[in-house]
This record gives sequence, C-alpha cells and structure tokens, in this order.
Amino acid sequence: MKRFVWVMDRVSIGGAVLAGLLLALAALLITWMVLYRAMGYSTYWELELSVYMMVASMFLASPYTMKTNGHVSVDLLAHYLPPRGRRVLLVVIGVVSLAVCAYLAWVTLQFALHAYSTGERSESAWAPLKWPLFMTMPIGFGLTMLQYAAEMVRPDEMEAA
Amino acid sequence: MSELQIGLAIVVVTLIVLFSGLPIAWGLILVAVGFLTVFAGPASLANVPVILIDELASFALLTIPLFILLGAAVGTSAAGRDLYESLHRLLGRVPGGLVISNILACGIFSAISGSSPATAAAIGKAGMPEMLRRGVPPGLAAGSICAGGTLGILIPPSITMILYGLSTETSIGRLFLSGVLPGLMLIAMFSAYAWFQTLRNRRLLKLDDPVGYTLAQKVEGLVRVSPFIGIIIAIGFAMYGGLATPSEVAAISAILALMLVIIIYRAWRVRDQWDIFRSTVRESTMILMIIAAAAVFSYMMSLLYVTQTAAQALVELNLNRWVLLLAINVFLLVAGAFLPPVAIILMVMPILQPVLEAVDFDLIWFAVIMTINLEIGLITPPVGLNLYVLRGVAPQVSLPQVLKGSLPFVFLMVLAIVLIAIFPQIALWLPNRMMGIG
Repeated sequence: MKRFVWVMDRVSIGGAVLAGLLLALAALLITWMVLYRAMGYSTYWELELSVYMMVASMFLASPYTMKTNGHVSVDLLAHYLPPRGRRVLLVVIGVVSLAVCAYLAWVTLQFALHAYSTGERSESAWAPLKWPLFMTMPIGFGLTMLQYAAEMVRPDEMEAA
Repeated sequence: MSELQIGLAIVVVTLIVLFSGLPIAWGLILVAVGFLTVFAGPASLANVPVILIDELASFALLTIPLFILLGAAVGTSAAGRDLYESLHRLLGRVPGGLVISNILACGIFSAISGSSPATAAAIGKAGMPEMLRRGVPPGLAAGSICAGGTLGILIPPSITMILYGLSTETSIGRLFLSGVLPGLMLIAMFSAYAWFQTLRNRRLLKLDDPVGYTLAQKVEGLVRVSPFIGIIIAIGFAMYGGLATPSEVAAISAILALMLVIIIYRAWRVRDQWDIFRSTVRESTMILMIIAAAAVFSYMMSLLYVTQTAAQALVELNLNRWVLLLAINVFLLVAGAFLPPVAIILMVMPILQPVLEAVDFDLIWFAVIMTINLEIGLITPPVGLNLYVLRGVAPQVSLPQVLKGSLPFVFLMVLAIVLIAIFPQIALWLPNRMMGIG
C-alpha cells in the first residue's frame, strides 16, 4: 500500500512537471509561428500541434490537481457535518469521483483504441494521426482515478501537503 | 415526462450532486451520463468522448492556459508588491491612499490577469499585511482586496469573457473592450468609497501621513513594473489592430512575461519556475475539466430537448424586458454564490441566449452585466473564491469581518449593474468606437 501511494505521489508530480513543459513548449511554438509567419513563410502544423500539447498538458496535470485539492467543489455540506459524518461524506465523495474517472477512462480508452485501429487522421493540411491526442484522455482520467485510490489508502504518516 | 419536468428533475439532481461536495467537473459528468442513460438510452453515451475532446482540442481554448500562465508568471513574482508599494508612496497624501492604492493595483493587475482569485492573491499578498500593520480596519482592508480582485474577470484579458464569447459566438475582442470602461467605473466607485470612509473617520486620516519618500523611491517600483504595463499595451494593439488572434497574443505575452520575470525579478531558479508552472497547470486543468464536463452537460440538456423547451417557455412568458433582466440577475446572483463563473456561463448561456435575442438585448452588453453579477458571487458566501484567497493571505482577519467589509463593495457593484443597464453605452461605447457598430 505504502509503495503504491509513494509511486502515485511521484507520478502525479511527474505529470505536473511534464504538463508545465508541454505548456511552455506550446507557448514557444506559437510565438515562433507568429514570428515565422511575419517573415512571410506559411505555417500549417504549428497550431494543431500546440493544441495537442495543451490537451496533453491538461490531462497530465489532472492527478496533481486532484492531489492538491484543485478540482473545485461546493464543500458546504462537509462544513456543517459533525467530524464523523464529515469523514463518511469524504469517503463517499472519493469513491464517486473514482468511479466517474474510471468510467471516463474506460470510454475514452475504447474511443482512442478505435481511432488507433482505423488510423484516423485529422482533416487538415498537416493531417496528423488522431489517436495520440485521444490517448491523453484515458491516461489523464486513469491516473486521476489511481490518485483518488491512493488518497483513500494513504497511511497517516504519509500525509502530503 | 415532459421536457420541462425532465428539466426540473435535472435542476434538482444537479443541485443535490453539486452540494454534496463532489468536484464540479465530476458532478456535471455524473448528472449528464445519468440522465442520458435513463432518458435517451445508453447508446447516446457513445458521443461522450467525442464531445470531451472536441470541446478541449480547440485553438480558441488554448487562450485560457496561456493567459493563466501570463498571470501566474507576473503574480508569483514580486511585481504585485512593487505595483502596490509605488502606488502607495505616490498616493501618500490622498485620504484613504493606503486602500485606494490597493484598488488601483488590483485594477492594473487585472489587465495582466484574466482571473479574479489570482488578482486578489497577487495584490493581497503585499497589500493586506501593509494595510493591517498601519491600522486600516481589517474589514475595509479585506473588502477592498476582495472587491478589487473581482476586476480580474471584467478588465481584459478575462477568462470568463473568452468562454462567454465561445459559448455565444460573439467576438472576444469586442467582449474584452466592453469590460474596460465598466472596470474603470468600478475602480472609481471603490476608490471614492475608500476616500469617503477615510474622511468620515478622523483616526484613519492620520494613518496616511506622508511618509517622506523621494520621487525616486516613489517611482522605483513602477519602473520595474513598467515593462509589464508595456505588455498590456502591446496586447491591446495586437488584438484590436487585428494583428494576431487572442491565442497568439496570449502565447507571446506569456513568453514575454516569463522572460521579464526572469530578468527583472531573477526568477530563473527551477524552484521559481516550478511555482509558476505548478499553479498554472493546476488552475488550467481545473477550469478546462469544468469546461469539458459542462460541454457534456449541455449536450445532454440539448439532446433531451430541455434547453430548447426552457428557452421557449421563457420567451413565451412574454415578460417585460426589464422584469426579465431583473429575474435573470436575481438568478445569476443566487447561482453565482454557489458556482464558479465558468460553470455558470457554459450551463446557462445556451438557454439564455435565445431569450435575450427575443427581447432584443445586446449580447455584448449583457456579458458585462453578467460578469459584474458573477463577480459578486466571488465575494459572497457560501462559495466565494476570493474570500478563500483572502483568508489564505490574512488568516488573522475573521470571516465575518471580511464579509462585513465586502458588503459595501457588493452594493457598489449592484449600483454599477443598474447604471450599465440604464446606460448601455458605458459598456458598448468603446467596442463600437474601436471596432465599428456591431
């Protein structure tokens, strides 16, 4: 158990680092594209690639966002419950969130695998394969699901920030 | 069940699910998938992955993380402190200068940041301790930061205006411009209130004794901040001159801001960059997940024909347009007290847009009314994001004090909504002037 929580903590930080890098690269790529275009050249793949990178960045950062309590919620009820009821509520919320992420990971995985098997391409001049873009969804939702599981079994002495 | 009954059931179930404390993104997905399964059959779920990815993989949405990056780069640096201190030194002789410089700093920072909590955090970090140390009543100090922070989504760039533009297919440039004058008007109203409070309270007047800074000391911070203000002006020219799309402008200004904080504030260490990017991806992911979930939710509402029926029912009520506007505002005030602006815009606008068009309300003008309205939700309980930020910056100020201090500012914002409703030109003059009558 400890091992699993330890690994998930590293995975979610790693995901956030990668997400930050991807976003920085996307910003650089667009900046470069605008300059390159201003010099009179035509650009065709930069926009699409930067969108791919942003989407990947958002999904990769999802477990970290979960871990740092960043997915906002209306936490009113928990405020008014006695400590015991609060603990029960938090467990229920965790289980439901885990289930929603598991469902999303499952359906988006099917979707991405389908795109992989058909070799679906984007309808643009650059026409990149679609499955790498789609695959970011099951990865993001799947990791978020695992992070929910890790928070549920986290031993007290491993209480992270 | 008729569409209206289904609609009612959706409202009730959504309220229960969201109030349980489930993260908003997952809650919206849960409700959408549940209602799709029951009323449209499991086959309708096949579209869920398509909707998620189509919503997210858009070049227009790229603006959001990039503007958040811009705000985070400047916000985690000491620029907020510099801005505040300079303004404070310059306004040393003005009654209420301590508070007014906070409001002005929030206003200027809003032109870099598209998010309200980020604005409140950036200025509050420096402003709150200084105001409290010098004896400004905690309520007034907290209220000014909370309210000043809300300008983040009114003064361009603005994340909520971007989403409003995407949702209603109105020009984002026009929406951005429409927020400028109302933003300046709110700054003036907030400052006038601080000035008036200080004059009324003799003890407060003494706090603002000129502290004897030389001119060089007064403008030193402003000089350091001026390149960022240069970015703001460049954003304006590039966007409204049609030189670049909002996403391109956002990317270039984010890169420039990163370079500037590295040069001016020496934020070149991995630790500094990690702080910037960590908060950026965290906030972006939170917002984009809600956007994607709200897209699935809207798909469900529209597939079950609830959106269309609700809009039609509202139109057929044949309300006087001002009664309708009042009703919409009351609804938004209540919804805004519980949900973040992003979620409300995406869930409500598909229903409201046809209704607004039926009574011939201008969509750009309404965006400003709606934004100020949702700003109020950010500083009122139970779920005011700015209130949380402020509690983080100044834990020693109690929540009731913060609320009491924010209340007068809420009244000023309601007054601003009324003024803009009566004089639509406050919102529309600038965009019409710069981009032609639309």
